[in-house]
Amino acid sequence: MKRGIIHGLLPLLLPYCALFCTGLALTLAQSLGLFLPLGSGEAGIEHYQTLVQDQGIRQSLGLSLSVAFFSAAGSVLGGTVLALALWRMPPGLRRVGVVSKVGLILPHVAVAFLVLLLLSRTGLVSSVLFQTGIISSPEEFPNLLHTGSGLGMILAFLLKGVPFALLLIGAVLFGFDIRLIQTARMLGAGSVRTFWSVTLPRLLPAMHSAFIILFLYAFGSFDIPFVLGESHPGMLSIRVFDIFFQRDLSQRPQAMAILTLMFVFAAVFAMLYNRFAAYLDGWRRKL
Amino acid sequence: MRVIFLLSLFLALTAGCSEAPTEESVLRQDYASLEQAARGTEVRWHMWGGSAQINQWVDTYVAGEMKRLYDINVVRVPMDAPVFVNKLLTEKAANKNTGTMDLLWINGENFKNSMQAGVLFGPFTDRLPNFTAWYDPQKSAHDFGYPVNGFEAPYGRAQFVFEYDTERTPTPPATMAKFADWIRANTGRFTYPQPPDFTGSAFLRQVFYATTGGHEQYLNGFNPELYAKNAPQTFTWLNDLKPYLWQEGRTYPKDAAALDTLFARGEIDMGMSYHPAHAQMKILEKTYPDTVRTFVLAEGAIFNTHFTAIPFNAPNKAGAMVLANFLMSPEAQLSKFKPENWGDLPALEIAKLDEEKRQAFDAVDLGAATLGADALSAAAVPEIASEYLELLERDWDTIILGH
Repeated sequence: MKRGIIHGLLPLLLPYCALFCTGLALTLAQSLGLFLPLGSGEAGIEHYQTLVQDQGIRQSLGLSLSVAFFSAAGSVLGGTVLALALWRMPPGLRRVGVVSKVGLILPHVAVAFLVLLLLSRTGLVSSVLFQTGIISSPEEFPNLLHTGSGLGMILAFLLKGVPFALLLIGAVLFGFDIRLIQTARMLGAGSVRTFWSVTLPRLLPAMHSAFIILFLYAFGSFDIPFVLGESHPGMLSIRVFDIFFQRDLSQRPQAMAILTLMFVFAAVFAMLYNRFAAYLDGWRRKL
Repeated sequence: MRVIFLLSLFLALTAGCSEAPTEESVLRQDYASLEQAARGTEVRWHMWGGSAQINQWVDTYVAGEMKRLYDINVVRVPMDAPVFVNKLLTEKAANKNTGTMDLLWINGENFKNSMQAGVLFGPFTDRLPNFTAWYDPQKSAHDFGYPVNGFEAPYGRAQFVFEYDTERTPTPPATMAKFADWIRANTGRFTYPQPPDFTGSAFLRQVFYATTGGHEQYLNGFNPELYAKNAPQTFTWLNDLKPYLWQEGRTYPKDAAALDTLFARGEIDMGMSYHPAHAQMKILEKTYPDTVRTFVLAEGAIFNTHFTAIPFNAPNKAGAMVLANFLMSPEAQLSKFKPENWGDLPALEIAKLDEEKRQAFDAVDLGAATLGADALSAAAVPEIASEYLELLERDWDTIILGH
């Protein structure tokens, strides 16, 4: 029986093992100093030790985490609010509301350039304000893209993330049994109470999924940081790219070590977050 | 059992990629028979593809002439050098003896990395008639201090220049010390691409030469003590200027193209390029105003040679050698030198040419924004060993960015 399942899954398992697992194994091996184009061929964890001691890597990690958190949380919040607004609209308007999903079809890198062209100090918005006399020089325009906090990247991630969260949460909302709300109302619940006790709990699973997908995507993504990131502290993905492609070959294990740690983090984070969400859910039900 | 099955399948898959090693007989053939062998074949030239003008030149002039003279189809494949070097390393590790790349445009650290990993084919330059006829082997014996040993064919030269707009800056600074004063007086109007970007890294070496007493001391190979003694002066100089840079030196443009954009938009007042005719090209493209000019500092302007090389697993080595030889010919060098085509400095010895060809080179007008050949060669200072370069880039990261 079990054998049969494995045989049935083989067409899926083979590419998975050959590509994903081999890649992962090679990354891990190279981070330990094995299978390198150059090097002694002896295994060791010194590259992990350098990383742990490296102040700059810690700053990059901090930036990656905060950008990922704010873009994912902002997207889920924005997506939920928009989904609720769309849901309350009459069906005719609802169809027009589809425009809010436009961000979904734009590639990430296009959104990054959009933010760059619009919001840099000599960008379109600044030029329009300057031409209309609202600001007297481009220097007066707030320096949004170079704050050191990754604000530009967060804005780009929000442009992509809000429609994505809207799609996931909206799907649940539009399949929602309206009678549940009518019942709650008839039993005397106010609109706030109805939202907290009836609507929100049903949206939460979709909100959690959206958060976790967007968080991990932003954490490891490359395209938006490449266009909008700053020199210091660079996002982790950019650090990996720099070390891998632009440094001496002897530093390659360090790039691989960062990648391995990022993978471990993503796996552990997804696991812990799911547990946390399940715990919250159980706690809520007890109430 | 299943694990063994999967493993053996995987091994069989990877083993299928490797084939018998190609014979090295191309190195023993004379050039005429190489040309014969290359007739009707295709040569895949992997090169940096970031310049529309250079791409255009390769696709029209080079491809056209190669077809006409040798019946060879040149296919230009745009790819950054670190990427194809990485591809070669992977192919070498996987024992893939028939690759997909025939000729590479390469130099510097990428060449050093490739040589150390043994992924290049050669030595082949002594087999190329144009190399023996028009080139000075001494001048292209080293690539960033790393011995070339016939594994790279010289193809062009580049030199570092600064760019400024006469409208905004009537007189540019003449020395590095004056430059520092200028940066202080024009807060927020100067920056440089973030090393290890090619141009940013060259600027870093310009500063290194100027703040530590010239390049001569670094020419005898890599000397760690000398670096340790001298480098702090360079980084003090850069650190002192940091608050006066664009964005207070907290962030730097990612590459030369990002710097060009800032300069063209007027966010900064000084540009730089490792290509003397770059400003003229930008003026012709209408990206820069007509009033942009270039200058070099009294401390000198770094120059280097760029090369073509052949991967160890190139499927068409004969064709690659014919193309490398063609690129070195006086005709191709002249066409490449013309600013409307590319404006890249010739790598060949103009003095070795006959009178008529020499005049053709002299007659090339590089445009008002480009410095004359005499000004450039008077300021020319060589590149140093890439160990210095790597250390400078690494320390820049730690000291200036605080990584």
